[in-house]
Amino acid sequence: MIRQTRRQALITGTAVGGAAIALMLSIPAIGFVISPLFQARRNSWVRVTTLDSVPMETPTPFRVSVPIDQGPSTDPVDRIVYVVRRRGGQVYVLSNTCSHMQCNVHWDPKLGASGQFLCPCHGGLYDITGLNVGGPPPSPLPPWRHRISTLPDGSRLLEIENQYGERI
Amino acid sequence: MAVLRFLARPLSRRLRSGYGWVDERAGTTSMLHKGLYEAVPKRGGWAYALGSATLALILLQLFTGIFLLLDYVPSFSQAYDSLHYLETSDRFGAWVRGMHLWGAYVLILVIGLHMLRTFLSASYKRPRELNWVSGAVLFFLTLGLAITGAMLPMDNAGYWTAVVVTNIPHYLPFIGDGIRSLWRGSDFVGPVTLTRTFGIHIWVLPFLLFALIGGHLMLLRRHGEFGSWVNYQTDTDDPEREITERILRAEPPYPTKRTGRRWAAPRDTVDFFPDQIFKDIVISVVLIAVIFVMSYVAGAPLDERADPATLTYVPTPEWFYLPLDQMLLLYPSGYLILVGGLGLVGIGALMLTLLPFLDRSHARAPLRRPEVIIPGLFLALVVVILAVLGANRLFNL
Repeated sequence: MIRQTRRQALITGTAVGGAAIALMLSIPAIGFVISPLFQARRNSWVRVTTLDSVPMETPTPFRVSVPIDQGPSTDPVDRIVYVVRRRGGQVYVLSNTCSHMQCNVHWDPKLGASGQFLCPCHGGLYDITGLNVGGPPPSPLPPWRHRISTLPDGSRLLEIENQYGERI
Repeated sequence: MAVLRFLARPLSRRLRSGYGWVDERAGTTSMLHKGLYEAVPKRGGWAYALGSATLALILLQLFTGIFLLLDYVPSFSQAYDSLHYLETSDRFGAWVRGMHLWGAYVLILVIGLHMLRTFLSASYKRPRELNWVSGAVLFFLTLGLAITGAMLPMDNAGYWTAVVVTNIPHYLPFIGDGIRSLWRGSDFVGPVTLTRTFGIHIWVLPFLLFALIGGHLMLLRRHGEFGSWVNYQTDTDDPEREITERILRAEPPYPTKRTGRRWAAPRDTVDFFPDQIFKDIVISVVLIAVIFVMSYVAGAPLDERADPATLTYVPTPEWFYLPLDQMLLLYPSGYLILVGGLGLVGIGALMLTLLPFLDRSHARAPLRRPEVIIPGLFLALVVVILAVLGANRLFNL
């Protein structure tokens, strides 16, 4: 009877020890893996263009050097900012990231009545305001988070942050 | 004194007694015998070589992969440069990289054939259900290795593969965006994406792969190759007795006992060494020769440096992901992407893995179980057709 109890205690002790090791290994490891969920994004604003130089009713791509918001500091990467000025005065500051699989869309003036954004991967289509109008995309083109400020000389400066205004 | 006496003997005797000393302590001879002198069925020997070829090709991937680490830098800004250097300045390095790519291509094809062979001969039936399940998981791990490997060069192909593939989890409800952020490091593909994918490619998936290969081989040895449908025909009026006699005649240790009415030993067996292993090596030599030549002649492509702002580059999947890519076209918008792109594929993968539990009949001959063979071959045909459609759409064949 005593033997049995001792044996039982050893088995329980081994299991508890194993569980303790597993716990000590997994707390830092899991925290490390999920750290991107809690890390503050390194957000920063970058200049795109002055609005007055953008032609009307024509989505115009600007290649902008955008800082990376994650990981060790590296050089900024180039991103596309499509600036669309409508005659009504609205300004759309769109990314060229397809909401379907995040491929690189481009403006094709020959599509539709007066041009559409086309995604080369699966044929997603967006109208001039970035609204998804054909193919598989589930939502509009994500706009860049942006701000427009008036400079002392009266021109309007467009800046974007290194984040989308809507999550896709 | 003992040392001098040992040295005075002729070399061959010295070697033999030296080996005897090791053998007495390590048991190498009995281990070799256990590994090599195994009765395997004579019929089907060439088809069985597909399994050993899979192992040979996976070891080739390990070997070439280790050598790629001599040059590759898993850094968002330097990964491309390191491979560009390899491709332009190091002929043998480029050759090794080519072997890693062509090895992956051939490996995926051979795993497909190995699975098809196992499917047709119903080798997944009792008691080999877990051989199939572990094999199916090994197949998925290989696909995971292939897709994570494709992201690493950080050329346009690699970058856009990373963007599209790491975006797929985002379609999962509730946890999708979180998984995407964990993999990417933020909402964008960046340096964290590369180091994480690199870690998954060189340690996480290979570790799981080799652990599971150990289990797969252990199960293979436990159950042997006996019991494919070709071995289950009986000729006499008393099949029970005939099967019992055939089991008695079979070489030990397989099969050691009957596990069911129709569980029988093959009529003709050969030794694993040298009969089967010769066939294995012939197939492996042919496949590795193809890889050796293709990697030198065609090599592994390296696109332009990754440009996240390109307006002209058209992202295209590797050929083995064409069926999945083409499927995405069929499911426009919203929740249908989840249902069609992830749900159906997930159900298909689950059904493939659990095939031994779906096909419960005792029949093994393909013609005697049309209820399994016809849907299986139909699905295989659909996959091929999707791949052809996808290739036609993207490459204008």
